[in-house]
Amino acid sequence: MVEITDVVCPLCGCVCDDIVVEVEDNEVKKVRGACAVGKSKLMGHGRIKSPAIRANGVLKDCSYDEAIKKAAEILAAARRPLLYGWSSTVCEATKVGVELAVEIGAVIDNTASVCHGPSVLAIQDVGLPSCTLGEVKNRASLVIYWGANPTSAHGNHMKRYSYISKGYFLPGGKKDKKLVVVDVRETKTAKMADRFIQVEPGKDYLFFSALRAILYGHEDVVPDDVGGVAKKELLELADMMKETPFGIIFFGMGVTQSRGRHNNIINAIQVTRAAHTHTKFNIMPMRGHYNVTGFNQVCTWETGFPFAVDLSRGFAWYNPGETAANDILWRKECDAALFIASDPVSHFPADSIRHLARIPVIQIDPFANPTTEFADVVIPTAVSGVEAEGSVYRMDGIPLRLRKLVDTDYPSDEEVLMRILEEVRAIRAKEGE
Amino acid sequence: MQTIRLKLKEGVMSGVAKIPVIVDSLTPDKLSGKSEAEIKAVKVWWGNREENTGDLFEVSVEGEAGSAEEVKVVMEGDLTRVKYIGAGMKTGEIVANGDVDMHCGALMEGGKITVKGNADCWAGREMRGGELIIEGDAGANLCAMYRGETTGMTGGKVIVHGNAGECAGQYMAGGEILIKGNADILAGLNMKGGKITIEGDAIMPGADMTGGEILIKGKVEDMIPSFKFVETTTIEGEEYRKYTGDLAMTEKRAKGVLYVK
Repeated sequence: MVEITDVVCPLCGCVCDDIVVEVEDNEVKKVRGACAVGKSKLMGHGRIKSPAIRANGVLKDCSYDEAIKKAAEILAAARRPLLYGWSSTVCEATKVGVELAVEIGAVIDNTASVCHGPSVLAIQDVGLPSCTLGEVKNRASLVIYWGANPTSAHGNHMKRYSYISKGYFLPGGKKDKKLVVVDVRETKTAKMADRFIQVEPGKDYLFFSALRAILYGHEDVVPDDVGGVAKKELLELADMMKETPFGIIFFGMGVTQSRGRHNNIINAIQVTRAAHTHTKFNIMPMRGHYNVTGFNQVCTWETGFPFAVDLSRGFAWYNPGETAANDILWRKECDAALFIASDPVSHFPADSIRHLARIPVIQIDPFANPTTEFADVVIPTAVSGVEAEGSVYRMDGIPLRLRKLVDTDYPSDEEVLMRILEEVRAIRAKEGE
Repeated sequence: MQTIRLKLKEGVMSGVAKIPVIVDSLTPDKLSGKSEAEIKAVKVWWGNREENTGDLFEVSVEGEAGSAEEVKVVMEGDLTRVKYIGAGMKTGEIVANGDVDMHCGALMEGGKITVKGNADCWAGREMRGGELIIEGDAGANLCAMYRGETTGMTGGKVIVHGNAGECAGQYMAGGEILIKGNADILAGLNMKGGKITIEGDAIMPGADMTGGEILIKGKVEDMIPSFKFVETTTIEGEEYRKYTGDLAMTEKRAKGVLYVK
């Protein structure tokens, strides 16, 4: 039995890097310090056994060579291919993915487009006054979760980084901190809060505008009720914000994917800006997958844009609403799709999935999921962070290195993509002859 | 007067995938002076490959034109995945017979486009001049801007006979939009100049406005709570409440005007 310390968890955007894992006979036997979902990922489950190609409606096992060749043929022939997923794999794989997208004139997009894509859009418009999670832990005496429920979605977030953690300047932990939750319903996180503000669904935008006006000194124009919240509550929240020496707003999909979407986030970020006329305030998206942030980083340094990049015309064109995965699927633009490290069939709207049933689909993933049922080519890979190493970005943009804990015969995502790219280039070269 | 007819061939949109065709190369000013054979050889993007216009469209040319101003382009067939109709056009006329895809009239500088149907998102994006008439509905981001750009429409006139989607006139800095139907959320978002008239209803209009004017003849749902009531005023015989804002942008910048019944 070998004990491995400081293991980096490949599950959510918290990317906890203090996990302890016990390995015996090349298998993870015990996990300490991870939340329930992180532990489940590290322990392993439900792997795809072999590469496969669908024939007459049934997936039939084949060799890696055959699956990779078939995938390359589909992609090289496509007129509007989509390469989607990327958020549960490492930056090294994404880098090859972008290269492949350039080679075949594809649209490349990650799961942000159905999650925090609106946040990324908003950040481009108005910036992001933010900080690291370490700063939050050590300094933030006011923690606001807005449309986010970390007790369910980011198991260790409060314990490691925010309300419950003991910080250098806040040694009493939660005794020294205040927790505010704004949400449309009383979540588990809301039950822990010093103050819970319940806003009507779809009315967050109004709430943010009112809060900004108050922070700028114009409370006189704000009506008595804003989105189901009494003006008195708004004024008290504004006072709490003014009084803290260092505050943070963590926001989730309750605001990114409800009415107003990226404009909600623009407004939320501007609340932070308005609070800066009184104190130091920060804001941070509660990014979901462990490397959803990393894809946005790699895609930006490779193409100039963070997600939903259309490379079909030989240059990078970026227009979420037109060039995100769902845009080209539900509009039936896409004629072939490669999904990696994600499960769109579980998460996309019915119109998009219906189209997926009609076009060739390639899946690269360690795990079988509903997308496997739609795939014409399936290529299993190593689990990053368990069987393969690589770089990832935590939700606050801090890069961390995932570790390899056990050996495997599965190739890494990067290796499979590299081989598809080589195969595509070979097909192209032959066509050119 | 010269009429150039471009009819999208049926085979282009009959497959499992409806792959967009990008036609910013087919404006009156760019086609002016070209023979039928030359027009057929003009390149258009179809997905990730460039094709000849003649391979995707049936092309016919009638009459002569002394200048681009006298060129009328008539587009026909299934145009629901034909993007950038009239984008960047400077003069002449385009008539699109049917629903059109995104970016129709984007960056348009002059001339006239008539869409005899609905126009998808970003119609009239960053329009600088000319006239755009949409006889059906307009999608989201009508006369708004490309992602990250902070100036939308700066000139010209747009009339939408139906409804408009989210964020109509976002970052608008000049020109005029008339929406005869309803406007979805956040019409005139970040508006800095120009005028939007909405004859129907609107939801949360004028957020983050720093200039320009929005007049709403119908109902307003979810009025932005950071606007200041100024006075009651009469326009064309009807009484309106005049507000200025958006105070969420600070008092110094809150120079937008909202007329609400």
